[in-house]
Amino acid sequence: MQKIISAIVSDIGRVLLGKEHQVKLALACLLSRGHLLIEDLPGMGKTTLAHALAQVLGLSYNRVQFTSDMLPADILGVSIFERDSGNFRFHEGPVFSQLLLADEINRSSPKTQSALLEAMEERQVSVDGETRALPDPFFVIATQNPLHQSGTFALPESQLDRFLMRISLGYPTREAERALFQGVDPRAELRQLQPRIDVSDLKRLQALVGQVKASESVLDYLERLVSFTRQSPDCTVGLSPRGALALLHAARAWALIDGRSHLLPEDIQAVLPSVAGHRLHSESGDGSQLVERLMHQVDVIAA
Amino acid sequence: MSRPEQLLPRESLLWIFAAQFTVLLPHFARLPLWIVLGWLIAVLWRFEVYRGRREFPGRLVKLLAVAVAVGGLALSYRRWFALEPMVALLAVSFALKNLELLSRRDAFLSLLLAYFVAATLFVFEQTIPYALYGVLATAVVTAALAAQLGGFSARPRRAFGLSLRLLAQSVPLMLLLFVVMPRLEPLWAVPQNSGGASTGISDSMTPGDFTRLSKSDQPALRIAFDGPVPPPEQRYWRGLVYSHFDGRRWSQGFGVDPREGARVSWRENEQPLPEVGPRYRYRVIQEPTRNQWLFAMARPHSETDGVGETGDDRLVRSIPVYSRFAYDVRSWPRSSLTPSSVLGDFERRRNLQLPAEGNPQARAWARRLAEEHGDGDSISAAVLAFFNRSFTYTLKPPALGADSVDEFLFESQQGFCEHFAGSYVFMMRAAGIPARVVAGYQGGEWVEQEEYLLVRQYDAHAWAEIWTPARGWQRVDPTAAVSPERIRDGLQTAAAEEFMEDALLPLHRISVLNRLRLEWDMINYRWYQTVVSFDSDSQQNLLQRVLGEVSPLRLAILLLVPAGVGLVLLLAWLWWTGRGARLPRAQRLYLRFCRRMARAGIPRRQGEAPRDYAARVASEAPRLAAMAAAVTAAYERAAYAEEPAAERQLARLLRQWRLTATSPVASATATPGLDSGGTQA
Repeated sequence: MQKIISAIVSDIGRVLLGKEHQVKLALACLLSRGHLLIEDLPGMGKTTLAHALAQVLGLSYNRVQFTSDMLPADILGVSIFERDSGNFRFHEGPVFSQLLLADEINRSSPKTQSALLEAMEERQVSVDGETRALPDPFFVIATQNPLHQSGTFALPESQLDRFLMRISLGYPTREAERALFQGVDPRAELRQLQPRIDVSDLKRLQALVGQVKASESVLDYLERLVSFTRQSPDCTVGLSPRGALALLHAARAWALIDGRSHLLPEDIQAVLPSVAGHRLHSESGDGSQLVERLMHQVDVIAA
Repeated sequence: MSRPEQLLPRESLLWIFAAQFTVLLPHFARLPLWIVLGWLIAVLWRFEVYRGRREFPGRLVKLLAVAVAVGGLALSYRRWFALEPMVALLAVSFALKNLELLSRRDAFLSLLLAYFVAATLFVFEQTIPYALYGVLATAVVTAALAAQLGGFSARPRRAFGLSLRLLAQSVPLMLLLFVVMPRLEPLWAVPQNSGGASTGISDSMTPGDFTRLSKSDQPALRIAFDGPVPPPEQRYWRGLVYSHFDGRRWSQGFGVDPREGARVSWRENEQPLPEVGPRYRYRVIQEPTRNQWLFAMARPHSETDGVGETGDDRLVRSIPVYSRFAYDVRSWPRSSLTPSSVLGDFERRRNLQLPAEGNPQARAWARRLAEEHGDGDSISAAVLAFFNRSFTYTLKPPALGADSVDEFLFESQQGFCEHFAGSYVFMMRAAGIPARVVAGYQGGEWVEQEEYLLVRQYDAHAWAEIWTPARGWQRVDPTAAVSPERIRDGLQTAAAEEFMEDALLPLHRISVLNRLRLEWDMINYRWYQTVVSFDSDSQQNLLQRVLGEVSPLRLAILLLVPAGVGLVLLLAWLWWTGRGARLPRAQRLYLRFCRRMARAGIPRRQGEAPRDYAARVASEAPRLAAMAAAVTAAYERAAYAEEPAAERQLARLLRQWRLTATSPVASATATPGLDSGGTQA
C-alpha cells in the first residue's frame, strides 16, 4: 500500500515539478474524502494537478469552466423532452463524475456556486424534485483566482467550509522552472500517466485512513488547538466542530501517506494551514497568519 | 416604617419561629406557663404584622410588655440571683424580641440568642437525650440561619443540608476544643433553685419517708469497684446518722449535722488513716440530691476535692450536690480496725438521748432487758429475737399514733426498715446502750458488662449502730432479723407483692424491659464517665498523658499543630485538585528530555513538534543528534502509538543518559566556552 502511495506521489510529481508537499496534501484530501480548493493565479498548474490526480487514481473526470453567466443546470444536468419516447429524460450534467474539476469557481454567480453545495456535502443532486446519487467516490477540486482579481464572486463562508482543504501551489522552484525551460513537457507526461489504483483500492485506502490511531496525547493537542482558536481574541470565528473533525481526518490521511499507522502532532501541523486557513478569520482578514500563530503558541506536549 | 427590601420574607420568619420553638421546648416544663403564652402571643403578633393586619407595636406597648415580663418574673421566682430566674429572663427577652423582628439583622440577633438559649438547657440536664436534643436544636438554629441567605436557601432540604454539612465540618474542632479548652471553675457559685421536690434521703426520718422512696426506681448511686467487691451483706452505703429523737422524728442533731457544728476534716491526713491498707476502692457517681451528704461504706476516706470526713465515718461535700458528682472512696471495714474503747462523754450523751417522756411500755421493757442481760450485745440479741418472732416486713404499715414506738412494738408489729431501726435504737438507748440510726442505701443491682453497682432510690434503707466497749461502733440491722432476704436480695424480692404496686404500669415485672433499662443505665453511666464528668482534673490527666507535661507552650503546640497540619492538608488538597489532569508518563519523560536539552542550550520552542525539534537539535548540536533522535522516536511510539514497551525504552534512555552522560549536558553547557576558547586559540 505504501508503495502505491509513493508511486502516486512520484507520478504526479513528474507532471507537477517540485510540488511534492502540495501533491501529498491534495492526495491526503482525497483520501479523507474531502474536497479540495486550489487558490492561485492562472497558469500555476492548478488544472494540471487535478487532471493528474484523476489520471493516476483512475477516476472518471469532468471539467467545468465556471463563468459569470452559468446556471445550476449547466452543472447538475437537465431533463429534456425526447420525442421518440415521449418522455422527459435526464441528461446528467458534468457533476456526475468521480472527479469534478470546477475551474475558477469564483467567477460564477453565488446561485451556481451554491448548486454545487448540496452535491459536495450530500453527494447527491436534486433536479426536478428528484434526488439522484452521485458516483462514489466523488471529489470536487475547485480552483479559484485570488479574490482581488476582477470579475470574481467571493465564496461564502458556508461554501468554503465545504472544502476540506484550501491549498495554493505557488511559483515553481528554480530547478523545476529550469526543467520546464529545458523542454520537459508536462502535458506529454500527463498523457502518459497510467492509473495506479482502481476504485476499490481507493476505497480501501480511504478505509485505512480511519484506522490510523489517534492517541490521547495527540487528541489533547488537537483539543488545545481548537480551543485556542475559540478563545483567542485574535480569531473572530473559531474552528467549528466540523473544522476540527476535518483537521483530524486530514491529519490521519497525512500520517497514512507518510507510512505510519499512528498520528503525530507533526501530521496535524502539516495539514493545519490548508485545513484551518480558510476557516479562520481574524480582524486583519486572512487566516493564514492566525494559523502561523496557532502553530507557535499552542504547545505540542503540554497545555 | 421600614424599607421593603429589609422586610423579612415569610420563609425567614417561619424558620425563626421554628428555631425558637425548638430551643424553648425543653424549657417549657421548667418555665412558668405565662412565659410560654407570652412567646406565643409575640409570635402571633409578628405573624399578623407579616400578613399586614397589624403594625409593629409602638414604644408604649413594648415598654408595657417589658414591665409585665419583669413583674411576672419577680412574682414567679421572688429571687433574682439564681439560675432559673436568669434562664427565664433570657427566655422572656428572647420571646419579646419577636415584637421587633424587623430586618435581617434582627433575625440574626434572634437566632444567635437561640444558640444561647439552647445552651442553657445543659445547666439543668446533661443526660444523653438532652445532649441529642441539643444537637438537634443546634442543627435547626443553624438551618434557620442558613435560610436567611436568600434565594432558595430557605427550602427545608437545602437549609438542613447546609446546616448538617456545617455541623459535620465543625465536629473535629468541637472534639479538639472539648479536650483542650480550659475548664474554668465557675467564678461564683450560681445557686440553683432547690425548691423542687426531689426524691432521696432527707436529713430527718419520719415514718413514711422510706416507704415513699420505695416507690421510686430512680437511680441514686452508681458504684464501680477497683479490686475486691464487698459481699451483698456488707453493702451498706452510709449517708446520714440520726442521733436526735423527738418522739416521732429522727434527725441528725447538733454536732452530727455538718451544718450544725459537726467537725469535718476537709484536709488530707487531718484524721489519721488506718495503717493497714483499705479493703475496698471504688468510685461513686451520685445523682444530684441538692444535699451535702455522700454515701460510702464504713470508715471511708476520699481524696476527691471538696469531700470531707465526719467523725462518725461519713463523707460530706463542701457544697450541695446539684449535679451528678463522682468521688473516689477507700473503705476500711470496721472489723479490720482496732476499735477505740472509749466513747467521749458528749458522744455518749448524744447517743443516749431520748425525749423526756412517751412510749412508757417500751422504756419499761428496755429497763427489764437491761437488768436481765446487762451487756449490750445480749440486749440487742433479745430485741432482735423479739423482732424475728412476731413481726412482719411490709411496705404498707398501718399509721401510728403518738407513742409510735409502743404502738409499733406491741400492737401493729408491721413495719418497714425505718420502723425497725427507729424502735431498735429507742430500745437500746432506753436500755442504756449508745445507739444511733443510720440511713443510706443498701444493696444495689449489678450492671453486668460494666461491672458497676446500680443503687436505686428504692434501695434506701435505715439501720442502726450500737456502741459496746469491746467492739466500738458496730452495725446492727434490725430489718435483717425480720426479713433477711431484704438484705440479701433487695427490696424487690423481700416485698414482691407490694413492690412498686402503685406504678402505673408494672413494667418492673417484665424482665426484658428490666434488662433494657439496665443497658440504658450503663450507656448513661459511660456517657457520664467520659463526657459529662470531663472536668479540669480529667482534662489535666488526659493532657498529661498526651503531652507528658502541661505547659502553655505545649498546649499551644497541641492546638496549633493540628490546625497547621489541617491547613497544610487543605492547601495540598486544593493544589492537587486544582492542578489539572496529570500528564501521561511518556509526556513527562519527554518534557524531562526537553529540560535537559534546554540546559544544554537548545530549548524547545513552543509549538515545536518533536521531530522538528530533533532535527533542530541535530543541526545545532550534532553531538546530541543520535540521542535526540532515539528519544524522539521512542517518545513518538510511546505517546502517539501508545506502545508500553516504547515508554519503558524512553525511561531507560533517559536514565542511561543521566548515568553515563551527565557529561553531555555538562559538556554541552561548557561548549560555548570551549568554542570561544578554540577560536581564540
